[in-house]
Amino acid sequence: MTTMFADTILIVFISVCTALLAEGITWVLVYRTDKYKRLKAEVEKQSKKLEKKKETITESAGRQQKKKIERQEEKLKNNNRDLSMVRMKSMFAIGFCFTALMGMFNSIFDGRVVAKLPFLPLSYIQGLSHRNLLGEDYTDCSFIFLYILCTMSIRQNIQKMLGLAPSRAATKQAGGFLGPPPQAAKFS
Amino acid sequence: MTSNQKRKEDLHVSNGGLKQSAWSKAISCKAVWEEKDEFLDVIYWFRQIIAIILGLIWGVVPLKGFLGLAIFCVINAGVLYVYFSSFQQVDEEEYGGTWELTKEGFMTSFALFLVVWIIFYTALHYE
Repeated sequence: MTTMFADTILIVFISVCTALLAEGITWVLVYRTDKYKRLKAEVEKQSKKLEKKKETITESAGRQQKKKIERQEEKLKNNNRDLSMVRMKSMFAIGFCFTALMGMFNSIFDGRVVAKLPFLPLSYIQGLSHRNLLGEDYTDCSFIFLYILCTMSIRQNIQKMLGLAPSRAATKQAGGFLGPPPQAAKFS
Repeated sequence: MTSNQKRKEDLHVSNGGLKQSAWSKAISCKAVWEEKDEFLDVIYWFRQIIAIILGLIWGVVPLKGFLGLAIFCVINAGVLYVYFSSFQQVDEEEYGGTWELTKEGFMTSFALFLVVWIIFYTALHYE
């Protein structure tokens, strides 16, 4: 039983380390480059400007005004696309690293109950929360479920604390272009 | 305090961090928020704090099952609603409506709550 709690804490620690590793890789490959800094500043400036313009526009606004906004939106979309392309490098590197790491952790924690859930997960979640565990007690928690929960909470908070999270305006304007920003990526 | 120090203190760190003045405004009634993002960051971090506190309490008591999840959601949404509508009295439309303020940081806080709840429940009731 002591081993189970030690596993719980170890997985939280692994999650913190992998979040820092992911941000570290992204910093080396992306954040510190001039191109990224320039693009990010441009996107944030344009997003805020566009948001303010959209708030003040009225139904009776002239065709010229609306066309101006469309042009700005197009420009912003292009910059967002370029920004996503710059981030792509780190996404591949992180994906590659984490595939190897996850393979290793999955084999280490295979079949091990790493925590007890204080609730019974919904049936479609049990496939994840009870993955590779023996028995029918679905309050037994598998490595992958706890790791995913830790990553969802820890990585975003680390990004926000370090000031690396993209701005809300930029995220909103990016919309569905390459899906959500890196913090929601598979191994993050 | 020198003017440089004061300027640094008043700066809102971009993209999520909060400086001293933001926290002083957060605990003052009806504060003026020049930057929308600053107030949204305050909402975000308050949600995370509530998640940690409730996860701890739920794990210690222990509170189990769907009831624990439901009560967390109600308290998390309810406390922040009272905070931004009654304590800060912000114009919700400026932030995109009550729903935008309610969902700010909610999923991250929910995941954090689950992690803390699981840790304390495992430590205290299964060890």
